[in-house]
Amino acid sequence: MHLRLDALSAIFLLLLLPQTVASAIAGMRRSVAFWAFVLGMVLAVLAGDAFTLIFGFELMSAASWALVLRGDRAPATLYIGIAVFAAACLIPALFLPASSLAFMLILLGAGAKAGLAPLHGWLPRAHPVPEAGVSALMSGGMVKVALYVILRYGFLTFGGAAQPWWGIVLIAAGAASVLLGALRAVLEVELKTMLAWSTVEHVGLIAVGAGIALRAKAMGDPVLAALALQGALLCAVAHALYKPLLFLGAGAVKRATGTSSLDWLGGLMRGCPKLGLLMLAGASGLAAVPLGPGFAPEFLLLHAVIIAAGTGGIFGRIGFTALLALLGLSAALALGAAVRLIGIGFLGRPRTLAAAAAGDVRRPELFSMGLLAVLCVPVALLPGTVLLGLNQAVRLMVPGAIPAPLSYAPLGLAVLLAAAWGAAYGLLRRFGARGVREAPAWNGGFGRPPVWLPFGDPTTQPSATGFAQPVRRALGEAILLRGGDPADALLWQPLFRLQLRLTRGAEYIRRATIRQRLAFVFLALVAFLAALGLEQGG
Amino acid sequence: MLLLLARLLATLLHLVLVFALAPLLVGVVARLRARLLGRRGPPVTQPYRLLLRLLNKTALVPETSTELYQIWPFAALSAMAGAAMLVPSFSTGMLTAPLADFITLIGLLSLTRAATLLGGLETGFGFGGAGAARELLFSLFAEAALLVVLASFVLIAHAFNINGIATVFASGHVGISVSLGFALVAMLAVALTETGRIPIDNPAGHLEVAMVHEALLLEYSGRYLALFEYAAMLRLMVWMNIIATVFFPFFMARAGEPLTWPVGLGLWGAKLAVMGVVLPVFEVSMAKMRVFRVPEFLGVAILLGVLAGVFLFVAERIGA
Repeated sequence: MHLRLDALSAIFLLLLLPQTVASAIAGMRRSVAFWAFVLGMVLAVLAGDAFTLIFGFELMSAASWALVLRGDRAPATLYIGIAVFAAACLIPALFLPASSLAFMLILLGAGAKAGLAPLHGWLPRAHPVPEAGVSALMSGGMVKVALYVILRYGFLTFGGAAQPWWGIVLIAAGAASVLLGALRAVLEVELKTMLAWSTVEHVGLIAVGAGIALRAKAMGDPVLAALALQGALLCAVAHALYKPLLFLGAGAVKRATGTSSLDWLGGLMRGCPKLGLLMLAGASGLAAVPLGPGFAPEFLLLHAVIIAAGTGGIFGRIGFTALLALLGLSAALALGAAVRLIGIGFLGRPRTLAAAAAGDVRRPELFSMGLLAVLCVPVALLPGTVLLGLNQAVRLMVPGAIPAPLSYAPLGLAVLLAAAWGAAYGLLRRFGARGVREAPAWNGGFGRPPVWLPFGDPTTQPSATGFAQPVRRALGEAILLRGGDPADALLWQPLFRLQLRLTRGAEYIRRATIRQRLAFVFLALVAFLAALGLEQGG
Repeated sequence: MLLLLARLLATLLHLVLVFALAPLLVGVVARLRARLLGRRGPPVTQPYRLLLRLLNKTALVPETSTELYQIWPFAALSAMAGAAMLVPSFSTGMLTAPLADFITLIGLLSLTRAATLLGGLETGFGFGGAGAARELLFSLFAEAALLVVLASFVLIAHAFNINGIATVFASGHVGISVSLGFALVAMLAVALTETGRIPIDNPAGHLEVAMVHEALLLEYSGRYLALFEYAAMLRLMVWMNIIATVFFPFFMARAGEPLTWPVGLGLWGAKLAVMGVVLPVFEVSMAKMRVFRVPEFLGVAILLGVLAGVFLFVAERIGA
């Protein structure tokens, strides 16, 4: 057992801290499995040798499996299957010498654990199942630990043997995750499932940044590598704050209303304003709008992709330009997902009595979410200062890199926007009519709803499904291939069919009569002799 | 010191002109469009009258809205005003220039869109929801196309800042390239989408089911509607300024040299006038598209953006 703390592990350790505290406050502190889960993550991040890393990683998997199992059986089985697969890839890789094979095994093992496409299918099924505090830590912490393993081995342990195509593989997997995650997050109706898909998207963003950095480092471009790595690390930090916040909020919504399906919520801002405002803060990170915590990482990553488009040959140019289009599409999709979360769930009219009667968030959850929201403020308004802390790790991972200062200045922007806001407010006070009058909504001239429907007919409201319908029609069928996930259609179903065919073949051989078996042996012998003869040049 | 003062003055002049002239621009476009259709049309000052009238009316707040109802118009307007402050109009090198990264600008436009969408979903009635869903659909492809086009600018100018891009393009080393032609067409398609003009959306529409941007504002009235309307007017101004600054930055004034201002101001007025004529001519010669045609329209823009990048690469290789 050997522990080590350097700049990279310090970042990931610090990033685990607030969400662990928040989850513990929100009601997980009595659970032994929860603390075992945390211990596993800490060990994996602090590991100084392969054994400690594997021990921590598997402790993390086993403890979180126990926590998922408490929620539901089927996703837990899928989850442990993926964890075993990840272990089967990781354990040999850790003991191999630095080579492409070893890094690909790391990428498969840790990538499966992080939810990188095409091995992402388990994540949106398993993450929403356990209690909100555990979901928060799984989405905010566990996937980061898996990404940490990729970063540590790609840049440091195997750093000497790095090839540019390692980075391209990582970028491709990340890009697929970004698109799938963002698209499914807009289409999903269940709140926690939606957040889990959005985690797939953010894992993809971090992987894209890390991939560009890996490629640039191998191609001898430390400036671009530093920029992309800054984006990836800042994305990890920001996501580790606002995603647990949103998951804890989803838990609070479930407790307040008994459901977390957006189609059964609505108008929660009236009954639970504190919860609503905290969720709005989290959603501003999800949407990656300026002055929110999610914008600075997005800004750095887009800069890195555009600069990367100028490197490499014609395929690099086309590939990175296509990646840019994909990232733009996904950024707009993420904004749509955030708007849908707030607009359908918290604004508008209640769709059920439970949503109408929801009480505000309880005190422990308020504290835990408030803690995370307060920590989002420095990331949102002083990302340059946060980057100064991350630059240590950047210099460690890319020797010779001089990390550039951030050219996005949220404080100045905030001053401009506040000035505009103040001027508009002042002008309205000075020249506008005062006061407001409550009136029935105009709604294009429709009549008022009958008295027995105090909030109007819920079916006349835009629903979460309906809000996503144009997106589903324009993109869903083309990208998601009917089944809802191209990885299912393109990877798992062919594998399943192959397995079925092999089983049938084996079964056929097992049931063969004695004559058929003799024929097999005879044919095999002939083939063997023919091969031998051919080899001898006869 | 004097230089700083000159830049401050240029910035203030920019702010005053942009904020004061935005409604006039909309009025001119509406008037010309009516003329082209054979009607007399409203006077060019009509948008100012509209804003004044809305200011003086009592705001009706729907019973089913939440406390945030009054926040969204302010958020939408201040983000759009932020964008208007950052995009240069008649001169480069304003005090706001260091903030004017192109991606920040895209972010501010997204922020405006988010606030408008939330305003549309606020009361929970069907028209707002339908409008929001459609606006979201358009924004997906518009944002993708915009980023692809931006990549071409950055690779030519080696600057992410709109001010820096304008300075490099104005210096004339770039010349007229095929890539920039493609980029211009793609950019115009995005601008038409983002400003909600024909063929994407009809700014003069009166049928709720067919509206996109107006449907979002259906439940707003009085001074809050005035804020949204003014944000929409600023949006047209901002987009025209973006196109003028990036594609036609020639002889733009430099903020530190007041003697160049008159030429810059005159040219800026001329550029706005030309665009203000071209836009209605284009609008009356097109029919509005079906909602699900718009992704194809913008898909062409994305393709043109990618082509611009490819041509740029080829041009670099053959040394043209």
